[in-house]
Formats: sequence, C-alpha cells, structure tokens
Amino acid sequence: MAITRVKLENFTVFESLDLEPSPGINVLVGANGTGKTHLMKVCYAACDVSIAEKSLAGKLVSVFLPSGPPAERLGRLIKLGSETGRARLEVFRGQSKIEAQLSKNKAHPLYPYISATNDWSSSPIDSVYIPAKDMLANAPGFRSLYATREVHFEETYLDILDRAYLPVLRDPAEFVPAALTERLEAELGGKVITHGEEFFLSGEQGEIEFTLLAEGLRKLGLLWLLIRNGTLRPGAVLFWDEPEANLNPKLYGVVIEVLLELQRLGVQVFLATHDYVILREIDLQAKEGDKVAFHSLYRSPETGEIACHTTDKFREIHPNAIMEAFDSIYDREIRRSLAGLV
Amino acid sequence: MSWVYQERDLEITINNANHVRKFDEPESPKPGQMKAVDFIVEYPDRYLFIEFKDPQHPDSNLTNYEALAAYYQSENIDRELVYKYRDSFLYEWAAGRAERGVYYLVLIAIEQLTSADLDRKKRDLDRKLPAGIPSGWTRPIVQDCAVFNIETWNNYLPDLSIRRMSSSAQGA
Repeated sequence: MAITRVKLENFTVFESLDLEPSPGINVLVGANGTGKTHLMKVCYAACDVSIAEKSLAGKLVSVFLPSGPPAERLGRLIKLGSETGRARLEVFRGQSKIEAQLSKNKAHPLYPYISATNDWSSSPIDSVYIPAKDMLANAPGFRSLYATREVHFEETYLDILDRAYLPVLRDPAEFVPAALTERLEAELGGKVITHGEEFFLSGEQGEIEFTLLAEGLRKLGLLWLLIRNGTLRPGAVLFWDEPEANLNPKLYGVVIEVLLELQRLGVQVFLATHDYVILREIDLQAKEGDKVAFHSLYRSPETGEIACHTTDKFREIHPNAIMEAFDSIYDREIRRSLAGLV
Repeated sequence: MSWVYQERDLEITINNANHVRKFDEPESPKPGQMKAVDFIVEYPDRYLFIEFKDPQHPDSNLTNYEALAAYYQSENIDRELVYKYRDSFLYEWAAGRAERGVYYLVLIAIEQLTSADLDRKKRDLDRKLPAGIPSGWTRPIVQDCAVFNIETWNNYLPDLSIRRMSSSAQGA
C-alpha cells in the first residue's frame, strides 16, 4: 500500500505538517527552504527501513547527514527554536504506521523512541530515491569507498547505486509493459548495460560510457534501469528530487509520460520541482482518472511557519512560487513594452 | 467619449482615446485581399493595433484543453497575427497615416493561459513581426507588441476594458 499520511511535528523546518499524499503522483512545489526534500527524505527513510531492517533513527541520520557527535546528530533534526525540544514524525500506510520521536535531551533514556506497527516490515514497501545530482557516472568504486571510509555523502547516493546495479529482469514485461521501456530506449538511442561497476549506453553507435553521456540522458538511463530491473513496479514508491536538474526541457515530456504511466500501474511518485515546464507537462498529459496532487509548501505570512496547500489542479496551486516568478517577468515585460500606456 | 464594439462574444469599451476605428470590416474588404487587424486606436503619441482571437467563444469546437493548447502553439496563429499586422500597417502607411509609433496588442481569449504562455507568445511575435529596429533598418514597423488573455488585458488596460458577453448574460 502507498503512503497515505505523513505527520511531522517540530521536525527540521516543520512546526506542524499533516499531509495526505495521493496514491498516484505527488508534486511538491515551494520556494527554497520550505522542506520539499526533507519531506521526501522522511518518507523514503520510512519506506526503506520496512525492507532493509534498519533502524529508522539510523536511516534518518544517514539520509539527512546532520553534523556533530553521533549522540547529538538526531537532535539536529529537531526544529530550531522549538519550545519542547522534541520532534515527532509519523508515516502511515493505511492503518500501518511507523513513528519516531526525537529529543535534544540526549541523556533521556526514552529517546530516540521508534515504534512501528507489526505490519510495517511484514509487508515491506519497495522504494527508490533519486537525488538531484547524478551518481551513475561516478559509480565505479563508490560503494566500496562508502563501505570502508568516512565519506560525507548522503546515503541516498549509495542507495540509488544499489538499486541501479540490480540485474535486469529476464522478462522485460514482468511488471511493466515493454512499451514503456521501449519509449525510453527510443529517446536514449539504446539500452543501459554495465561492465563491472561502470555504466554504458549500448546502442547502434556502440557503447558509450556514462561519463561521456549528457547528464540528462543518464537520468533517462537510470529510469530505464529502475523499470527494467523491477525496482519500479506496482506497489513501489519513487521519490525524485528535481527531475529537471540538467535535463533538457525537450526531454521533460517523455519523463512525465513515463511517470504518469507508472502511476497508472500502481507506483506512487513524489517529485520535488522548481520547474514550470514539469508542472505543465503533468497538467497537460494527465488523463481522466490519473491521481495527481500538487502540494504547495510555503511559509505562512500569519504564523511564519511552513504550511501546505494541496490541490489536484495546476491552476489552483497556491501559492505557486514558480508562477510568481513568471508573473513577475510578464509584468515587467508588459510595462517595458507598453511604457506610457500601462 | 467612449467607443463600444462587439466582436462575436467579446465587447470592448474604449475610453480616453483620440479616435477609434473598427478596421476589419468584412462588408468593405481591403484592396488586394489585404488582411486587417480588428481595431485601430489613436492617441496623440501613438497608434494601437488590436487583434482579438477568441477560440473559447460559446460556439467554438475547441472544447478541451488539449485542443486549445494545440491551437495556441500552432504556427498558423502566429502567421495570421503577423500578416494581419503587416498588411494593416502597410494599408495605413499607404493611406498617409501610421506616422506615429504603432503598438500591437493581441488578445488571445483562452482562460487557462498563464503568464509564461503569454510571455512566450509575445517573444515569438517580437521575432516574427519583427518588433523594434532590426539591423539595417532605420525605423521600426512596430514599436512593440504585447499578448494578453482577458484577465491580464483588463488588469493592464482599464481604458480598453473587455467583457465576455455570454458570461455576463449567464450571470444576469
């Protein structure tokens, strides 16, 4: 089952957030510092521990990478200036729930307090988190480096490589219709293969190492891999931070086409974006019955705290930091063009 | 003085102008099959050429968003907007007018258009008209242009207010 609810109290930038995501595509928009990535990381950590049997506290530390001595790191995730000095986060899948309570009082024996309903791990949830920066070109040697050295990389970078290295399924259409990966292959001009730990695009022109491939194409290649190796299958959850980063806008269409199709097959998707074209592609390509929710995170003028407004319609996204930027450009352009008239 | 004109389902009320002409008159076509913008508004220091496109009028067959988006993005609409302007400008020049700067205002009455859509269309028209003074020219054929939907038109141009008559009738 998909994530059905997220509650955060005094966690990082959130004083209080209660969000009910769509089982389909969830688009997180908002200015920098409104918690889009933090929200996705919390949900990802909750999903990942259901399958990897890790502690939620440890996963939070490894994906957020707070600084300081180990005993104080979790406390760094508590909202600065919170009166209680405690944070609480809860992630729900229907009746199933995992919860963490954090305290800055490191001597307190109860904290961190982690609890989960029995079925959280007994019915695990496949998930994948695609960070904004590509890792596939830098993959060779990274996993062994991460395992043996103190390198300051969020664990999401290791996790995405673990998922990408999974061998492809024997039957390409076992979970997802072959037409979907063929669509990506047509844009990529080939398929992704590995030699050792190095990724290549294999097409009519031969094999091209990922270091020589445009980063946008590497992103399409990663999406192809995650579908072909069964990571993105019905029931899985995809978190993608800024899919637009280093992707030519002409490729946005195919990315959104594939994500909408995955959603129709039962993959829950979370996207954090700053890009107008990504929003419009979703708006224009979504069909009747698609489950799309736009979550606008913003700092409330009244309370100064982060709030969220959810809508299923592009035009009702409010506030919309992306459109506000375009409105400002349009306004200045009109006033320059028609000086003396407006 | 106010001038009020109806163009299918749209009504424009023009105030504070020197003179207004309904320029595209099917009953008296322009010579040489020249195309014509809908209105010419005269001010002491400038002319406004105004063209309306109303694909969301009540009888339109463009009823869904995809069809409207395709209409808006098509080359045909750009070509029509450009040739209507150029022919109108040439007509006015040959008639001994257009001695003041001309600004081209385009209304595309699609409710869903965002500021990004409108800005993109304005830049397309800038390039295709072309607006300003291209290299090698000494004077412009159009000073500048702007593209609006009904909402932004009324926000920026209160002296040239537009209303959709069918929605007013429904609300009555």
